[in-house]
Amino acid sequence: MTPKNNIVIAIIVGLVIVASYNVDANPVDFAEGIPNLGVIVAEIFVLESLIDDLKYIPTALWAMLETLQMAFIGTVIGVVIGLPLSMLAARNLNSKFVYAPTRALLAVIRTFPSILWALLFVIMVGLGPYAGVLAIVMYTIGFVTKLQYESIETIDSDPMDAVSSIGVSKFQLIRYVVLPESASHLLGQILYMFDYNVRQTSILGIVGAGGIGFFIINYIKFFEYGKAAMFMLVVLITVLAIDWISVKVRDKYIIKSQHGMDVKSK
Amino acid sequence: MTETPSFSLISTNKIIQMNDVWTSYDSKNFALSGVSLSIDRGTNYAIVGQSGSGKSTLLKLMNGMMTPSKGTIKMDYQTPNMNNKTFKKMMHTIGYIPQSLGLVKNISVLDNILIGALPRLSTMQSILKQFPKHEIQEAKRILKLVGLSGKESRKAYMISGGEKRRVAIARALMQKPTILLADEIVSELDHVTAREIMDLILDAQKKMNLTAIMVHHDMTLALEYANRVAVIKEGEKILEIGVEGDKIVDFQTGDMSIEEIMEMHNNDAKE
Repeated sequence: MTPKNNIVIAIIVGLVIVASYNVDANPVDFAEGIPNLGVIVAEIFVLESLIDDLKYIPTALWAMLETLQMAFIGTVIGVVIGLPLSMLAARNLNSKFVYAPTRALLAVIRTFPSILWALLFVIMVGLGPYAGVLAIVMYTIGFVTKLQYESIETIDSDPMDAVSSIGVSKFQLIRYVVLPESASHLLGQILYMFDYNVRQTSILGIVGAGGIGFFIINYIKFFEYGKAAMFMLVVLITVLAIDWISVKVRDKYIIKSQHGMDVKSK
Repeated sequence: MTETPSFSLISTNKIIQMNDVWTSYDSKNFALSGVSLSIDRGTNYAIVGQSGSGKSTLLKLMNGMMTPSKGTIKMDYQTPNMNNKTFKKMMHTIGYIPQSLGLVKNISVLDNILIGALPRLSTMQSILKQFPKHEIQEAKRILKLVGLSGKESRKAYMISGGEKRRVAIARALMQKPTILLADEIVSELDHVTAREIMDLILDAQKKMNLTAIMVHHDMTLALEYANRVAVIKEGEKILEIGVEGDKIVDFQTGDMSIEEIMEMHNNDAKE
């Protein structure tokens, strides 16, 4: 550890303390608040209300299904719009005059978190899942394009140069070199994006943009913690399941093809 | 070295003419300093030199991927520049095999070969990957020619180093080239495979009346296969010889024996 590193660490620690003071982030308050958590947990685990709440499971599942559909549509449309944009934003495929404005546009889109997009679309198209879908589309465009143009830029330049030297068109270069060479990364990112969008869509209901979050926020507002907890449990199980499935898919189809590149010559 | 080329610019037999070409990767060091070359149509031309001597740069200049900072290059009377539309058309028939081969790893051997036919396809056909039947038949014929029958559906990352070279050659032949540029295509291969690959190129060259410009590390191989050999050292052409059987004609210092050339090359290699 060099003295320079120590100074950097000291500065970071100092900044965390100052910032915590500014936002009233006091560890003592946290410790004092723990019993409140106990109150909520006690309310959730009242046997009678637990049995009563089970009636709402079908509603929770339908709401979760709606959330999944919103995330799915949002991811697919976001990727369909985002992929061509990421081709335009990649530095190894375009001149500065093309990639710089595209990147600027994407940076602006990325500035807004999904919840702000959702608010905007609730104003535009009204309450409900449609506003949520539009929010996810915008968020996906901003986020997935960044991941994708960065992957495209890491493609081995050798096949790009060799195929360009034949005098092929940009479309042909993308179709026959860029897409096959980055496909495993792109697919991995799309899966990750869907996974992430399911979580995000779960909270968009807070601003009235549909999905399971709409129920959760209303139960919390009316102190029905038991129902809120059950709906959250449905979200948790769904997210874990999707996570598990996407890990399996990634292992089976994506990681394998990436490792395939390292197959030794005979 | 500023050698005056001994050719006339209107000669129809000269397919490649480089006149006093200088080029650099940065502003200080020249990768090539005043190289002149004149290559006849149908020649099997070898460029030999140590690593970093500038021989790969010569190939990149010929296919327009680089432009010289000084001097002129004519490829069949056109100035190479990959951003120039007219030259881009010519690139369709210049087969270029870089040292790294430049295969697309995640597509099949056949698809890699079909890439050579892309300039003949419409945008829609290429996006939908609809190669005309005769192109697929041609790709399969070339696949057989390079000895890769039965491996067409293998992914390019799954085949051996020698096979990868054959795919790269096949892709270049699929272009129906008039010129073939190959950068150290047989280096790192065992002698038997290296000779098989060289025989393959020689055979294709004769059948298609190709002009082949091949960069080699190995002088023995160059003397064995080429009609002409240029030796590049530190960005300058220090020697250009014609080879006819075991007779060597030096265009600068008079006749030399193979032994003398080899000795000179070996001394260079030791430096």
